[in-house]
Amino acid sequence: MSFVVARDLSRTFNLSDPWIVRKLTMRPKRLLKAVDAVNFEIERGTTYALVGESGSGKSTIANMVVGLLAPSAGSITIDGQNLGDASMSRQEQQRLRRRIQMVFQSPYASLNPRWRVGDILSEPMRAFKLIDGATAQRKRVAQLLEQVGLSDSDASKFPHEFSGGQRQRISIARALASQPEVIICDEPTSALDVSVQAQVLNLLKSLQKEFGLTYLFITHDLAVVSTMANKIGVLNQGVLVEEQDTEDLFTTPREDYTKMLLSSAPKIDFDS
Amino acid sequence: MTETLLELKGLEVTFTTRRGTLKAVDDLSLTVKRGEILGIVGESGAGKSMTGAAIIGLIDPPGRVSNGEIWFEQQRVDKNPESMRGRQVSMVFQDPLTSLNPLRTVGDQLVETILAHMDVTKAEALQRARDGLTEVGIDPDRINAYPHAFSGGMRQRVVIALALATEPQLVIADEPTTALDVSVQAQVLDLLKKLCRERGTSVILITHDMGVIAQTSDRIAVMYAGRLAEIGETREVLTNPQHPYTQGLMASTPSVDAKSFGQELFQIPGAMPKLDALPSGCAFNPRCSQAHARCQTDRPPILADRAACWLMENAS
Repeated sequence: MSFVVARDLSRTFNLSDPWIVRKLTMRPKRLLKAVDAVNFEIERGTTYALVGESGSGKSTIANMVVGLLAPSAGSITIDGQNLGDASMSRQEQQRLRRRIQMVFQSPYASLNPRWRVGDILSEPMRAFKLIDGATAQRKRVAQLLEQVGLSDSDASKFPHEFSGGQRQRISIARALASQPEVIICDEPTSALDVSVQAQVLNLLKSLQKEFGLTYLFITHDLAVVSTMANKIGVLNQGVLVEEQDTEDLFTTPREDYTKMLLSSAPKIDFDS
Repeated sequence: MTETLLELKGLEVTFTTRRGTLKAVDDLSLTVKRGEILGIVGESGAGKSMTGAAIIGLIDPPGRVSNGEIWFEQQRVDKNPESMRGRQVSMVFQDPLTSLNPLRTVGDQLVETILAHMDVTKAEALQRARDGLTEVGIDPDRINAYPHAFSGGMRQRVVIALALATEPQLVIADEPTTALDVSVQAQVLDLLKKLCRERGTSVILITHDMGVIAQTSDRIAVMYAGRLAEIGETREVLTNPQHPYTQGLMASTPSVDAKSFGQELFQIPGAMPKLDALPSGCAFNPRCSQAHARCQTDRPPILADRAACWLMENAS
């Protein structure tokens, strides 16, 4: 069985007016199906990318896999354990959650501006009781900073002292702090410049090799996916319309929607 | 005839701050020909938006155009940009959600713009507004709709209709599609290109996306740390970049038709310098793999009408 398995994953949002307004205006409930029976599997140590336009439900799936949002129906299994299993004790749940971390889209909004980088990075260690003692934590923080290409003296700085690319490195270091096995990357480079994007993507790749990480990569940018993913799922309005290995998807897309996405991606190509 | 419409001569935009004077745009000279689409590319902080704002006279204090000249149709306009703003030069901003007034219908906003800049009656203005909407592919019967009733792509179409309503000779489009999905982006770019080609309107397209530039522009100017790094025909610059920065930028751009799936991207070491800590000589020299002694002391001018790099000297 694959490492991460999503089965018939669905999520509905209730956009209805309050009950009394509905009764007075005789309007029915309004439900929005953001994700509709999506199935996918991710092998250990590989990258699975979900591609889609805004409103396709890709971030909703990311939030469900990381446990920030409960699925309306369906299940997510990680290493054989069901994420939404109600019979699990709190400790068991926490142990499972430790293994799944997230890197958010905007490095400007996802780091607490009042915390020093050292505190940001040691919080997961404290929360999951991984490393005890200030000295040991400091050592681990320095190690994490080095792994993402920053220096250990950066631990005493505040997030605003860093550029966008460096902040995203801090976000990645924070995700690594709890020694996860799965990292969900929700548009990790869409707020960054091209040259910085290349640095961050290469960093994610080398970390994957080093720690055997499994990535769920959420993006709207097919070009980014082509260099990152092993397998790609294309989402359209909450439905997974196509799933193929990266190379096959780019060379022989099956669905019209995928073809449309591929043809509208801007290309630097003067032969055609 | 390729006549020059806009010429920037040694344009300099500075910001006076507590930490001293920062040059957001530094000695920038370029021309835009009539009917041409010029792309300005660069990363955040390269000064590309400032260049656009300087042309149309929208730089807010403490920033100011401290040096250089802007010539529009053989007239110097940097002293009174209001004379052409809106009428001859108009602007398309990045986010259509914030550049339209949410409390007024799109028709109102179009009519107001037309009446402010053109000598027409109210009925004529209304007719022009309807024609404008038709041209950008919006049903003219939606003239009384409010901006929130349109999707992002449709809103950007309204903004384009607004920009073209006064029949300007130059449209400055500052990241017009950054907030849009790829499929919508392609539509909006095609529309902008088509309408400007039909009318012979020049466009300055400011973007950070090499793909957008490649598909849309005739010539491109690459900016780095407020300075012009390279300029030339789009095809020439993108297929045969001369400046090491452009080369790095091209190599680090992931591509949909990459033959090398899953391979590492090229990365330029380091980051763009802060404007208060620019290296001496060429601003790119600390990150450049081909830098030599001269790059650290002397700032290269644009050589061979192409790139601001001392390597050009040996080549020619």
